[in-house]
Amino acid sequence: MQRLPLHYIKPGMKTYEEVVDSQGRVLCGKGIELTEEMLKRFQELGVSYISVEGTPVKLPWEKTLETELSELEKRFENVTDETLLQIKEIIRELLLQKFSNKG
Amino acid sequence: MIDISEKRKEVKKKLRKLEGLPTLPPVVQKLCKMIEDERTSLNQIAELIEKDQVITTKVLRLANSAFYGFPRKVSTVNQAMMLLGMNVLKILVMTSSIFDIIHKQDVGLWEHSIGVAACCKIIAERLEMKDAQEIATAGLLHDLGRVIEKVAFKEEHAEIEKLIKQGKDPLEAERATLGLDHAEVGAFLMSQWNIPERLIEAVLAHHNLDLTKKYKKEASIIHLSDFLLHARGYGETLYERVPRLMVESLKILKISLPEIKEIFFSLEPKLYELKFFTEELKNELS
Repeated sequence: MQRLPLHYIKPGMKTYEEVVDSQGRVLCGKGIELTEEMLKRFQELGVSYISVEGTPVKLPWEKTLETELSELEKRFENVTDETLLQIKEIIRELLLQKFSNKG
Repeated sequence: MIDISEKRKEVKKKLRKLEGLPTLPPVVQKLCKMIEDERTSLNQIAELIEKDQVITTKVLRLANSAFYGFPRKVSTVNQAMMLLGMNVLKILVMTSSIFDIIHKQDVGLWEHSIGVAACCKIIAERLEMKDAQEIATAGLLHDLGRVIEKVAFKEEHAEIEKLIKQGKDPLEAERATLGLDHAEVGAFLMSQWNIPERLIEAVLAHHNLDLTKKYKKEASIIHLSDFLLHARGYGETLYERVPRLMVESLKILKISLPEIKEIFFSLEPKLYELKFFTEELKNELS
């Protein structure tokens, strides 16, 4: 699953979950292949983000789990304070969970 | 050896005269007068802003970005005024030229600042504080002083960076060079702009909670958010490693570690969206 701003979405991508407008109305179900016309309509109705199947777009700023974890270690290098180390552990859990969802 | 108290006076004098700083556009000056005049209606203010397309675009863009997190699109200045309140709108108008400089001068710092703003909003809402968007805006401005150092005190800024490279603490490096640190510089400038005391104090005290008189919670929120963003690694500042956390701030806010975990989990999707926002700005620059 990948959540993307509307202007990243291309016809042919499949919805991963329902598309809703800014007022919460459902515009399109899940598992639907998107067409040019649908995207145009979403634009008019003020849809900002859509979740699509797979990871069709490579975002140049996205890091791998390995990079994220090693940068985390670096940021907390030489830290011994117990509270800070617990915060570091929270971020580690967050990263692990985030990447397992992507899976 | 420079006399540090003399230097401090000199820096403040320069800030008072706004020397070397971007001038506020005439429409902003007019707007400030109108806001202070109680006879002005909100509609008149909205009309004036809307006459300036550049400012309108900037204000709406900030109002729509994920750090305020409104579920509906803000498409008019009137809506922005209703949702954000007059104080925040005024700050967005006044500082839109400053934000331009921040993201042109230092995209990393800009990313850090909007991340802090988003985090402040999450914490302020959890604590059910009044006008959470005001606290988010203070978060957006918390490192204003750093940008000012960069644009208006170039020589001193170079010296500060040199000292940090040699291993000096960033705040101490600022104090040794300018006689005051970026929190003071930012707050001082904000006070010249007639921004509400709540925001000024929160910015002033975000590295030293003892400086607060009335707004300890607000300052603690910015301090904690600043730390959490450094810990998460979002944007770039002078700190390569996590900065000091004043544990006192957790006590003041009555926030426990499990709650910090919840905050991180709410923050992460916001940061994901904000990245698209800053990338767009970056592309416009190049």
